[in-house]
Amino acid sequence: MVAHLLRLKLAILANAVRRSRAQTLGAVAGAVASLAVAALVIASIAPLQSTTPEIARVVIVCTGSFASLAFLLVPLAFGADDSLDPRRFTLLGLQPARLAGAIAVAALVSIPLALLTVGAVANVAVWIENPAVAVVAALSGILVIATATLAARVCSAVAGFVFSSRRARDGAGIVVSLAIAVSAPALVLLTTSDWESQVLPIARRVAAFAAWTPWGAPWSAAGDVAIGRPVDAGLKIVIAVVTIAALAAAWFVVVRALSARNSREAIAVERTGLGWFARLPASPGWAVASRSLSYWGRDPRYGLAVAAIPVVPIVVVVSLLGVGVPAIFVSWIPVPVMCLFLGWLVHNDIAHDNTAFWTHIVAEVPGVADRWGRSVPALVLGVPLILIGSYVTALISGYWAAIPGLIGLSACLLLVSLGISSVLSATSPYATVHPGDSPFAQPQPQADDTGGSWAQAIAFFGTIVLSSPVVYFMVLGNADSESWYRSALGAGLAIGLVSYIGGVQLGGRLLAKRAPELLAFALRN
Amino acid sequence: MESPADSQSGRKPKKRGVGRPVASRSKPFPTKKPEARSKPVKAKKAASRALELAPLQAPAQPTAQQPPQKAPHKPAPEVLAVRDLSKSFDGTVAVADINLTIAAGSFYGFVGPNGAGKTTTLSMITGLLRPDSGSVVVHGADVWTDPAKAKQQMGVLPDRLRLFDRLTGAQLLYYTGVLRGLDAATARSRAADLAAAFRIEDAMGRLVTDYSSGMTKKIALASAMIHSPRLLVLDEPFESVDPVSAATVAEILREYVEAGGTVLLSSHSMDLVQRICGHVAIVVNGSILANGTIDEVRGDSSLEERFIELARGGRTVEELEWLRTFSD
Repeated sequence: MVAHLLRLKLAILANAVRRSRAQTLGAVAGAVASLAVAALVIASIAPLQSTTPEIARVVIVCTGSFASLAFLLVPLAFGADDSLDPRRFTLLGLQPARLAGAIAVAALVSIPLALLTVGAVANVAVWIENPAVAVVAALSGILVIATATLAARVCSAVAGFVFSSRRARDGAGIVVSLAIAVSAPALVLLTTSDWESQVLPIARRVAAFAAWTPWGAPWSAAGDVAIGRPVDAGLKIVIAVVTIAALAAAWFVVVRALSARNSREAIAVERTGLGWFARLPASPGWAVASRSLSYWGRDPRYGLAVAAIPVVPIVVVVSLLGVGVPAIFVSWIPVPVMCLFLGWLVHNDIAHDNTAFWTHIVAEVPGVADRWGRSVPALVLGVPLILIGSYVTALISGYWAAIPGLIGLSACLLLVSLGISSVLSATSPYATVHPGDSPFAQPQPQADDTGGSWAQAIAFFGTIVLSSPVVYFMVLGNADSESWYRSALGAGLAIGLVSYIGGVQLGGRLLAKRAPELLAFALRN
Repeated sequence: MESPADSQSGRKPKKRGVGRPVASRSKPFPTKKPEARSKPVKAKKAASRALELAPLQAPAQPTAQQPPQKAPHKPAPEVLAVRDLSKSFDGTVAVADINLTIAAGSFYGFVGPNGAGKTTTLSMITGLLRPDSGSVVVHGADVWTDPAKAKQQMGVLPDRLRLFDRLTGAQLLYYTGVLRGLDAATARSRAADLAAAFRIEDAMGRLVTDYSSGMTKKIALASAMIHSPRLLVLDEPFESVDPVSAATVAEILREYVEAGGTVLLSSHSMDLVQRICGHVAIVVNGSILANGTIDEVRGDSSLEERFIELARGGRTVEELEWLRTFSD
C-alpha cells in the first residue's frame, strides 16, 4: 500500500505539469522559485563554514526553527484541501494504522519537504570538517524531516475540519497573506542592517529560546556538539524524538477519528448556545460587549483589522532601524504601537453596524453603555497584549527596569485611543465596508463625506499628544534615573483612565443626542 | 390555502378557550402564554395548538371580513397620538402635517402607494427619524422628549434596515431582549417561546445572515415583540414572506391584538389589510386622505378600489395613447 500511495503522490506531482500550458508554466515557475529558495538557503548556510561554530549554530537554529514552524502553520492556513487527506481513503476500508503510516511516507514526496531536505543536507555540509558533528547533523536532519512531515500532516488534517467553513478559511487566508506581506520588510531589514551589531544579538536570544523548542532542538544538536556541549545535544535529540513520537500518536488518532466519520458537513456544527452572551452579565452594556466580541471573532472586517495590527509595528521597526535608531529603543516600539492601533480601530465602530444601529435606537440603549460595551473587545485583546508584550519586550531588549514604564505607556495609548474613539465614532462616522462585503473592498464615500480622514487623524494624533507626558517620562527614565519608569506607569494609568472614562461619558451623551442622525448617515452610506 | 373562512374557523375561537378577556390590558404579549403550559410545547405541538385549545362550541363570530375589531364597548385609551407630524428632505415634502390617533387594542393598517411617506412617517413615530415638526406620544410619553419611556412601550420592525446579522437567531433575540431591559432568564425563555411561535426553532443556531428573507422578517418581528410592548409598529411585515409564514405572523398579531395589544402596520397588500386589520389609514403624498374602520373607508367598493381611486386622485392612464396603436 505504501508503494501505491507513493506512486499516487508522484503522479499527482507529475500531473501538475501535464495540464494546460498556462498551468504548466505556473508549475515550472513554482519549481524554479523553489530551486531559487533552495539555492538561497545553501548560499546563506555555506559561508557559515568559515565563521565560528557559535555563530553558525545561532544562524542554523534561527532559520531552521522558522522553516520547521512553517510546516506547522502553513497547512493550518492552506491545508483545507489536500490530496493526502485521510478522508479520501475512508471508502477503501483500510486499517487506520496502516493508512496513517502509508500517508506519512507518501507525504515525504513534496516540494516543501524537498526544500527542507536541502536545508538539512546543508546543515551537514556546514559541519563536514568535523566528522563527529556531521554525523549528529545527519541524524538530526532525519529527525527534522520526520517532525516536519508529521506536523504538516496533523495540521492539515486538523485544519480540514476546524476550518471547514468558508469564513474560517477566509480568516486564515488573511493571516497568511499578512504574514507574507510582513516577511518582505523583514528580509529587507535582515539584508540591510548591520549584521554583527544589530541582528546577531537578537538572533542569539531567539536561538537560546528556540533551541529548546521541538522545532529548534534538532537543528541545534550538531551545533551543540561543535561548541562542546554534548549533554545539551543529547537532551535536544531526546526532545526531538519525543516530539516525533507525540506527533505520530496524534497523527494516528486523527486518522482513526477521520476514518470513522468522513463528511466535512457533519463536523461543521451549528453554533449552539449564546456564546459570549451566556458568559457575560445580562445588562445593555454587557450585551453590547458580547455582541462586539462575537463580531470581532466572526466578521472578517474586524478580523482583517486585528490581523493587521502586528504588521504596523514591523513597518515602524524596520524604518527606525533603517535610520539608525538604537535597537534597544526600537524593541520598545511594537507593543505600544499595537495598543495605539487596537484602540484606534474602534473610532468608526458605529459605521460598521451600518443600518443595524436602529436596534440600539429603538431600544434606547444608554449612550454610555453602548460606548464602553464596544470598547470591551479592544480591552480583552489589549490587556494580555500589554502584559505579555511588555514582558517579551524586556526579554528581547534584556532591559528589565523599563517594564513598568512600558506597561504604563502601552496602557495609556490603549485607553486614550479608546476614549477618543468613543467620542469620534459618535460624532464623525465615515463610509466603511458594508457588513458582509469583502473586507478588502473599497468603501464608497459620499460626496459630502469629508469626516473620514479627519476622524482618523484626530484619533491617531490626539492619542499621541495626550500620551506625550508618558513618553517624556520614558525618555527621562533612560537619560536620568530608572525611577522615572515608575512615574511613567503612574502617569500612563492616570491619563489613560481619565481619558477613557471621559471619552465614554462624552461619547455616550453625544450618541444619545445624535442617534437618528447617525442612522440617517448609515442609510445614505 | 389561506381562505378567510379557513383561518376563521381554525384560529378565531381559541382565544376564548384560554378565557382571556378581550380587552385585557394586563400583558399584551401573546407568546408569553405558553409559559402557562408546560415546557415541552415545541414545534409540532405549537402547530396543533389552535386545535388543541379550541373548544368545540366556538362562539359564533360570523363576519369573516371584520376580525377582532369589534367596536369597543367603551372608548379605549389612546396608545398612539401623532400630531401635525411633518418632514421634508431638501425642500421636497415627504410628510405633511399628519395627524393620527390610535386606540389601544386596534389593528391599524397604514397603506399608500410607493413613495407616499409611509416609511418616513413610521420612522418618525419610532424615533428613528427626527421630524421637522409635530409630536408623537406613545401611551402618554413623547417619543422625542421622553424617549426611554415611550420606546419601552413600542416594538419596532423597520423596513429595509439591516439586523446584527452576524449573530445567530438565538443570540439576536437574546440581544434585543437584554437591550430592552429583560433579565437573562426571561430573555432566554421568551426567545425560545418566540422561536416556537414563529416556527423558526430549527434556525436559531444559524447566523441570521444565512437566513432567507422571510425568515429574516420573522426573526426581526420576534425581536420587536420580545419585551412585550404595548404598541407594535411594523413597516411592511408581510413583504417577502411566504403565504404559510404570513398566516403564522397574522395569527400571532391577531392574538396579540385580542390580548389588548395595538398594531400599526404598513402594507402594499390591500387584500391582506382588509382581511386582518380593523382600521386603515390611506396615505398619499405625505397626507392621510382617509382613515377609520375598514368599512367606513371602503364604503361600497372594495378597499383596493377605494385605495386606487384616492391614490390616483381621479387621474386615469389616458396619457399613454401611443400605446394603443401598435408599431409593426
